[in-house]
Amino acid sequence: MSVARRVAQSALAPVVAVVIALIISAVVMLAIGVNPLDALRVMVDFGDSPSQQITALVVVLDRAVPLFLAGIAVAIAFRAGLFNIGVEGQYRMATVLAAGVGAAVVLPGPLHVLLIVVVAMAVGALWAGIVAVLKVTRGVSEVISSIMLNFIALGTASYLLTGPLRGSEPGASIITTSDIPESGWMPSLNGIFDLLGLANPPRQLYGFLIVALVVGLLVSVLLKRTRFGFDLRASGLSPSAASASGVDARGMVVKTMLLSGAVAGLIGLPDLLGRDHSYGTEFTSGLGFLGIAVALLGRNSPVGIALGALLFAFLDRAAVPLQIAQIPSSVVTIIQGTIVLAVVIANEVARRLTRRQAERGSVVAAPPTGDGGTGPALHAGIGAGEPSDERRGTPA
Amino acid sequence: MDESAPLAVELRGITKRFPGVVANKDIELRVRRGEVHAIVGENGAGKSTLMKTLYGMHRPDEGEILLDGTPVTFRSPADAIAAGVGMVHQHFMLADNFTVLENVVLGSGPTKGVRLDRAEARRRIREISDSYALGLDPDTLVEDLGVGDRQRVEIAKVLYRGARTLILDEPTAVLVPQEVDELFGNLAELKREGLTVIFISHKLDEVRKVADSITVIRRGTTVGTADPRTTTAKQLAEMMVGAELPTPATRTSTVREAPVLQLTGVTVASLDGRRVVDDVSFTVHEGEVVGIAGVEGNGQAELVDAIMGLRPLVGGTLVLGTDDVTRWSTRQRRDGGIGFIPEDRHRQGMLLDAPLWENRILGHQTRPPSAKGAFIDRKGARADTERIMREYDVRAPGPDTLAVALSGGNQQKLIVGREMSASPRLLLAAHPTRGVDVGAQSAIWELLKDARAGGLGIVLISADLDELIGLSDTLRVMLRGRVVAALDPARLTPEELGSHMTGAAQPAGAA
Repeated sequence: MSVARRVAQSALAPVVAVVIALIISAVVMLAIGVNPLDALRVMVDFGDSPSQQITALVVVLDRAVPLFLAGIAVAIAFRAGLFNIGVEGQYRMATVLAAGVGAAVVLPGPLHVLLIVVVAMAVGALWAGIVAVLKVTRGVSEVISSIMLNFIALGTASYLLTGPLRGSEPGASIITTSDIPESGWMPSLNGIFDLLGLANPPRQLYGFLIVALVVGLLVSVLLKRTRFGFDLRASGLSPSAASASGVDARGMVVKTMLLSGAVAGLIGLPDLLGRDHSYGTEFTSGLGFLGIAVALLGRNSPVGIALGALLFAFLDRAAVPLQIAQIPSSVVTIIQGTIVLAVVIANEVARRLTRRQAERGSVVAAPPTGDGGTGPALHAGIGAGEPSDERRGTPA
Repeated sequence: MDESAPLAVELRGITKRFPGVVANKDIELRVRRGEVHAIVGENGAGKSTLMKTLYGMHRPDEGEILLDGTPVTFRSPADAIAAGVGMVHQHFMLADNFTVLENVVLGSGPTKGVRLDRAEARRRIREISDSYALGLDPDTLVEDLGVGDRQRVEIAKVLYRGARTLILDEPTAVLVPQEVDELFGNLAELKREGLTVIFISHKLDEVRKVADSITVIRRGTTVGTADPRTTTAKQLAEMMVGAELPTPATRTSTVREAPVLQLTGVTVASLDGRRVVDDVSFTVHEGEVVGIAGVEGNGQAELVDAIMGLRPLVGGTLVLGTDDVTRWSTRQRRDGGIGFIPEDRHRQGMLLDAPLWENRILGHQTRPPSAKGAFIDRKGARADTERIMREYDVRAPGPDTLAVALSGGNQQKLIVGREMSASPRLLLAAHPTRGVDVGAQSAIWELLKDARAGGLGIVLISADLDELIGLSDTLRVMLRGRVVAALDPARLTPEELGSHMTGAAQPAGAA
């Protein structure tokens, strides 16, 4: 099978899912009295002047960076068969503490940024590590504990923000940490626009985009090319087979969660280092949950996640223009929600189809006599609990 | 079979095809009312497919099913149940945290309005339990029951739904010998009440003990019927495998002096503290095959886990070569030269949704040609997968094929090839030919024999007595976690071995 064909095949399910989701969303819009075509026109309208268009593009990219990191964090755990729902709490804890540390010290530029990044990754990893420790020592499902830890993280972050790390004036309507000094800011990439001879927009293109790309590349190499990545994926495909092959199942849970948490710790940094320079009550929330959707949409592959993050960022950007056009901005949420549902279903259907195709394929490939056929595809759906060996049919 | 009463179950010319394969072909089955009718055949001979046809889980492509002389068509198990056919699955389908009563009535309970009528359900379960001597208490939690009792709950479930014909799929596989006897007692009760039992098994001794008549299936088709009173186990075995019975026998001994694996007092406890492997000691030398015989569930699986480091020992030591490996991790043991052919290849031996070359790496992640330092050597692994496919006759389109696409025999040959390619010192082979066809079976036997001649020490666990006797240099018999006999396979018949396995024979040799 050629590379192109394989890519097309793996992209097919998400693309079909997005199309179906758009159709469902259109029906919903009609039901609430919104013309879907009008909504679509508003969503794809990036403005008239080149400067407006580039600004809109930057808004999408800036939003896509944290979504991409969130998707990667979720995908790492997914690949090992773990469901890290706690990405939300991990990045909130990481961001508030990184903001606090960043505001408290003055260091030369790159070092200051590096320190903030390291603190964020460490906090995210530790917060996710709690989940791992609970799982391997007490057998607590990571789904439950990571959801619970989200609440604890939000509460703790609020406490830190209003208590020890409070930097804003008493009585201010928006509570924030102290501002990080300029040495701890991440320079923007707006120079690119000058280089390309394009209009330099007022909006800053986050320098963290580069970091996100590097993280994506590193994670991709780690998962696909290294022994550690093989062990991690094997654990996700079959925990029992992984154990029998020599993977330490408990150690793998801990390592995976630490890694997932460390990447989750980065999610808040594009906004923190590139725009807000402090953590506050208005800081972007919900990225951890959107990350789950993005990872599903991208089928846990870095390239797919990047595309998913761009799509979600594009939809998010449309919220304000929709409101201006007197269309409820919840249209965006509806589309995002239906996309997630459609993708989950489409991925499962695709998985079954490829499996069935593979099983059929072998029957064609194998000679009719001799080593026999494969377990008939029809068998797979029925008779749960049958011994696997009996799944074979016997050739004529 | 010349009686006038219509047969309880009759299958005429049943053929069932799956894409590319014929799982059942021209099946003829005649089961009289009130008898225990055994269906025997090797793993993969098509027994389960046939029973699924009879239980309405799929429809046959050709042929007809007659119950009490009337043709019937089942679209689903619900139809089969309505017609009085019930199935007791090999793997129990019970909710542990429910009581016996709740499990039995689940899905078909008597109701009062929308509420379960417990009093009525309890009365009926007691009635069933008493009339067939099942000895069930409706209010016990299933999690507190032993395996034998759980099976009786499954039988009660089927009877509760009004079954007159019961299909039991390998019911003895999970039972210890006493429980088997109890089950046979229950079957006699069912028979006395005029019920019909179809009993699927490949354990010939049991079949001869319990069945009134036997139908043999080979390669998807019925090859004949036999009378258990006049047929020996050997004759049955020949019917099952056909004339071209390959022989696993090895002739000359290749046992050398140096030990590769020494077990001393190895003890493994289950979660509830029961000793599932109890004080097991034996030594495997270079070039020696040590066979472990025993009825399934007598500690063999746990012994395998203990040798692989998948279960902690509560006592005893394991020495590989000269190294004490008792505290080594699974990976260290694999790197130290233990090869592993697991009992359930789908659970422990393969990543079904991964391509073959990744399955080549599995279990050998640390070594060339799978790895280069911390990285996976994709090129090396692919090339070596191609070599294994060639040398071990693994029939598949290529190394990028998903493992799930291979037949059981080809999957097994890939596993054997992969484990042999690492030139292990010790091979732990659990049921190495289970569920593979005759061709692959003899190929695997040849490979094991060659490796043995080359100095490999092998621990062979098998349920196939001919395989055990033929391949092993020495035999150990496990019963309830203990090694109860050490036997010389050169002077042993399957019948003798079978009686040792059930504990019927006097302990001989090591006790």
